Amino acid sequence: MSEKIRVIAIDDEKLAIDVIKEYLKKADKVELIAECRNGFDGLKTISELNPDIVFLDIQMPKINGFEMLELIDDPPVIVFTTAFDQYALKAFEVNATDYLLKPFSESRFLEALEKAKKLLKDKNKADEKIESLEKYNENNSECIERIVVKNGQKIIIIPVDDVDYIEAQDDYVMLHSSKGKFLKQKTMKYFDEHLDANNFMRVHRSYIVKINSIQQIELFEKESYKIILKDGKNIPVSKSGYSKLKEIFN
Amino acid sequence: MFNPFLKNRENLVVYLLIWIVIALFHWLALYYLLQITLEDAILDSLVYNIFYAGIGISLWYPTRFITFESYSMPRLLLNHLMAAIITSIIWVFLGYYILSNFLIKEKVYYEFINDSLAWRFVVGILFYAIIVSLNYVIIYYNNFREKELKESELNSLVKEAELKTLKYQINPHFIFNSLNSISSLTISNPEKAREMTIKLSDFLRSTLSKNEKMKTILSEELKTIKIYLDIEKTRFEEMFEYVEDISNECSSIEVPAMLLQPVFENAIKHGVYESIEKVIIKMNCKKDGEYLKITIENNFDPEAVPRKGEGIGLTNIKSRLKLIYNQENLLTFTKENNIFKVNIFIPILSKELINEREN
Repeated sequence: MSEKIRVIAIDDEKLAIDVIKEYLKKADKVELIAECRNGFDGLKTISELNPDIVFLDIQMPKINGFEMLELIDDPPVIVFTTAFDQYALKAFEVNATDYLLKPFSESRFLEALEKAKKLLKDKNKADEKIESLEKYNENNSECIERIVVKNGQKIIIIPVDDVDYIEAQDDYVMLHSSKGKFLKQKTMKYFDEHLDANNFMRVHRSYIVKINSIQQIELFEKESYKIILKDGKNIPVSKSGYSKLKEIFN
Repeated sequence: MFNPFLKNRENLVVYLLIWIVIALFHWLALYYLLQITLEDAILDSLVYNIFYAGIGISLWYPTRFITFESYSMPRLLLNHLMAAIITSIIWVFLGYYILSNFLIKEKVYYEFINDSLAWRFVVGILFYAIIVSLNYVIIYYNNFREKELKESELNSLVKEAELKTLKYQINPHFIFNSLNSISSLTISNPEKAREMTIKLSDFLRSTLSKNEKMKTILSEELKTIKIYLDIEKTRFEEMFEYVEDISNECSSIEVPAMLLQPVFENAIKHGVYESIEKVIIKMNCKKDGEYLKITIENNFDPEAVPRKGEGIGLTNIKSRLKLIYNQENLLTFTKENNIFKVNIFIPILSKELINEREN
């Protein structure tokens, strides 16, 4: 590779970016092509400039580093930088994507850069790592409070309380919220496990419903039921879904 | 407290079983030892024991009201003695009246019952003494259990509060990010790095040395807060601004230590950390009658989804204020037009009041 490796740093603190900038001066054939101060800006810049490596902070305003990553179809090699994030730390332990704990030394930084460069040569391996990180995030059972989706060029943050129901749609799910419908590349299983079980219920293989949006439950055909939502929509209920519903409503 | 004999079915069954055993002995004694006819012995035993089983249940009520706490020992004993004599006399003569007038006509029995009235009276006193003593034991056992329960509840409350305090004091995110800023400044601006190191040390020292039981004057409390805000300002630079308006008369008013710190941390956390717009934190302190009124407000991004735990810090402060000043609603907050506003009212204690409290 005779060309320079193109790098972006995303962090909401300017001083944190300054450190990366300084350390990169000592690195060979690497160029910092952009600095971003939040996830929105980061997302836009990544799609415009298509960098090779991204140094990404996790805690940022609006959308965090993980959420930003979810919205990128073909992510570059990511090196996370974080001060203290218990869940993220655990994620890294089971995953080979490198991470830097702030404050980090120059030698530690260059080591991470070398690793990232190696991954760059092996695109498959890099994708694998991102995938396994996503898988890890799916398996950790923390409840989510918001869902970030892309609608054309716009990024929309949906608080989970605004979601009425979720419908399976091939490899995606359709989120039906008070703001409209949005497609999200996640599994039903993911939402089943990451939405607060006190507020949401999987009533059918293909449907998760917010309990508060349920208007009534009706007999549909012989031994089969459907839910009528407050906005009038009908949702089928499976046998096991019905017995779960009965438990709360009785 | 409910009557222990009536509280549940098991207790009542046990109570009645004991009476059946007593009635059995009663009958055996009359029949075998005193040669009363079988029928008369059964009737005698049934009438007298059923009566006392009933009286026994009602003895709970005088026991509840004649307590060791409200009566002196002699008065308590005297009360019970009187009650024992009266219940025994009623019991003996009611039994006598029913048995001799309605149930038993035999002459031998008449002689026997007339001779035995004094003995029956003694037995009545004995029953009274046993049941009342048992009631006292039950009352004291229950009180003991209740106290134990309350104590353990209190303990867990205290622990929880301590844990929350600990969480305040150690915010690793803040510390590590500040250290990272220092690391960065050593390259670009060593002097500022040194300044920041000193500020971070001052802040940590002050946080670690204070606890929530202490009181301090407002100007002291604000010193620590200024240091904290300075550190955050170094981290976020143009992303936020702090404006204060404090009237002179407020500076020396006494406030609980570490009370305002979490409010500012909140403003930074939910305002600055979550917004890509500039956040302005305003603080206003003035005297308002008998109170020191402190208002802290910040703009925030309305799209930011509230995180878990939002409001816990403020609820904590509210309950702390209630605990200290014994007044409700010393903290209120509003969310309007993208402005989050916290009002805190601190009662100004006059010198005499302070002395009174300390004594």
